[in-house]
Amino acid sequence: MIPAQLFCWHFMAYPHLPADFDEKYDSGWVTVPNELWDSEKSKGLYQEYIDQLALADRLGFDGVVLNEHHQNVYGLAPSPNLIAAALTQVTSHGKIVVLGNLLPLHMNPLRVAEEYAMLDMMSGGRIIAGFAPGGGPETFNYDIPSAPSREKFWEALDLIVRAWTEDGPFIHEGRHYPLRYVNPWPQPLQKPHPPIWVPGSRSPGTLIECAKRGYCYFLSSRSHGAATGQAREQFTKVLEDHGRKYHPLRMGILLSAYVGTDDQTAREECQEGVWYFLKNLLKGHLRTEGRQLTFGPGVPYIPTKAWRQYLETSKPGRKLLGDAENWEELDRSNSILVGGPDTVFERLKNLVDNSQVGNLLIQFHLGNMPNDLTCASMERFATQVAPRLRAYSAKLFAQRFPHMEDELARAEAAQ
Amino acid sequence: MTGRVIEAAGRDVALFEAGDGAPLVYLHGFADLHGVAADPFPFHQALARDRHLYAPAHPGCAESAEYGDLSTVEDAVYHYLEVLDALEIDRFDLVGHCMGGWIAAELAVRHPRRVASLTLIGASGLFVTGAPIGDVFMMAQPERGIDYAGLRRMLFQGGDTKLARALFPDGRADLDDEMRRYQMLRFASFIGFKPPYFYNRSLVNRLHRVTCPALVIWGAEDRMVPRAHGEAYADGLKGSNGLEIIAGAGHAAHLEEPEKVAGLIGDFLS
Repeated sequence: MIPAQLFCWHFMAYPHLPADFDEKYDSGWVTVPNELWDSEKSKGLYQEYIDQLALADRLGFDGVVLNEHHQNVYGLAPSPNLIAAALTQVTSHGKIVVLGNLLPLHMNPLRVAEEYAMLDMMSGGRIIAGFAPGGGPETFNYDIPSAPSREKFWEALDLIVRAWTEDGPFIHEGRHYPLRYVNPWPQPLQKPHPPIWVPGSRSPGTLIECAKRGYCYFLSSRSHGAATGQAREQFTKVLEDHGRKYHPLRMGILLSAYVGTDDQTAREECQEGVWYFLKNLLKGHLRTEGRQLTFGPGVPYIPTKAWRQYLETSKPGRKLLGDAENWEELDRSNSILVGGPDTVFERLKNLVDNSQVGNLLIQFHLGNMPNDLTCASMERFATQVAPRLRAYSAKLFAQRFPHMEDELARAEAAQ
Repeated sequence: MTGRVIEAAGRDVALFEAGDGAPLVYLHGFADLHGVAADPFPFHQALARDRHLYAPAHPGCAESAEYGDLSTVEDAVYHYLEVLDALEIDRFDLVGHCMGGWIAAELAVRHPRRVASLTLIGASGLFVTGAPIGDVFMMAQPERGIDYAGLRRMLFQGGDTKLARALFPDGRADLDDEMRRYQMLRFASFIGFKPPYFYNRSLVNRLHRVTCPALVIWGAEDRMVPRAHGEAYADGLKGSNGLEIIAGAGHAAHLEEPEKVAGLIGDFLS
């Protein structure tokens, strides 16, 4: 039986913002003045974060997750591959998921193929290769035109997979990345290539392209209401259209958790980090206050027809995750699960029940959360939540997706 | 004034026409016919006073088809050559605003003999050191999810006038207007984002090839394309008699002061 896969995601937030940041600054993204960066205070910060991920590996998480962001206070890993390289040396069991390299920001996709191949060799075949086209902030940060970015993304990703699976040198006659000699050394250890994950926010284009190629679809939403289950239904349908069958490890979701000894102390311990995260780090991203850059008419990557559908079904100015004003509102968004081990288990159990998604990517470090609290929460999760969740989900998946085990075994045998 | 959809090189192109006389081609910007509104403004009516006005919508805008091969301003110029052929227009007066002005200038430097006169209103297209073109994409992301004051301020001198608010209201506008805005931003993102950012560094050195009479009109308070760009156009175009500044107007000078701008163009064309 195959349980839900539990990953520890670290966003590597900037924790030293002034107390009046929200009052004084419009955004935590793109235009947030970098005079706020304090090198002295930040000495050892990357080491602290890497140590937390190494701890996750020792605690038996199925993997650790990194991602790429630029010019912001939300995530200090503009080059997640550098962190992944460090992690290959201090972890030994779990996967290292880079979710993902933002392809349109790279001049040449070959560089990404090469770096992932290096990481796969350095980690003994533990890399999960994530790829993303980049969202609104990246458009502004790296001057990436939105409209053609999806087309560029899929050309780059298909080229990388060819570079990993076809003998070189060969000529790539692509529109955006024409190359005369595609012949990367080294090649990845995993065959035919490392697992590929692609994030999306339910846009039909991404669902279809992932289904065609059999890639894992990572739903990038941080909140999990009815839409999460709907995304899984959509993906199930699209997979069927392409001759594939859904099972829970074909999809991943992102959530955050804080596990305390009980509900009351959990809230007390994490509240500073949680509200720092919501009010400061999500400002400009998942908060309406200020100017939200992630999605909208100024980053017109969505095809015209799909934009009309979006307008028809959405309300302007609707509340986003970072607009939550109190714990009750926050709890309703099913984004940050806070409580004692029983509460967090129950809420995760419901989430797995409702979503039937098997890759759970969980953020433990929130905002300016101190190291000791972060580590203690991860330890409680690993010892008091994870075992129950694994047992529960394995049974559930075996019942609902009887084909899953065979299919994954076949995939393994093919390697 | 009538609208129709024509075919040029196999692509649908939405087109407004009005008036009789020698052909005048108008290429639109953001705050403009096709860019945000379905109907022509008084300014466009005035252009048709003694000309046959042709006002096509850019690829992907209004009912014009989007097409995948469009990625540079050069592609837009060749698109318009196809449109001109479809309309059987050989020589014409050319007027453009904002991005439409950029495309008009690029067309004129390549085919100077076909352009009888060139009028630019708040045209992008040039690179001017120290005077960057405003970030319309960032301003198109509303504040608090609903507030387009930043966009209005970029496009109009009086950011909160009745006209600015009618065209770019807060919250959700009429769905079709929202779509036109989005389509225009998408078109801009295809050809105007990178490289370069609404400019072509080579254009300034080609302007001398335009020998026809030229008129360069700028809103005194243009916060999208700084006045320095108007001065550079007026300097570079041989047929220009200097920059015409419209007091009390911003980037969308032709909508804010339609009589003054149309009057200048009318005098220039006669």
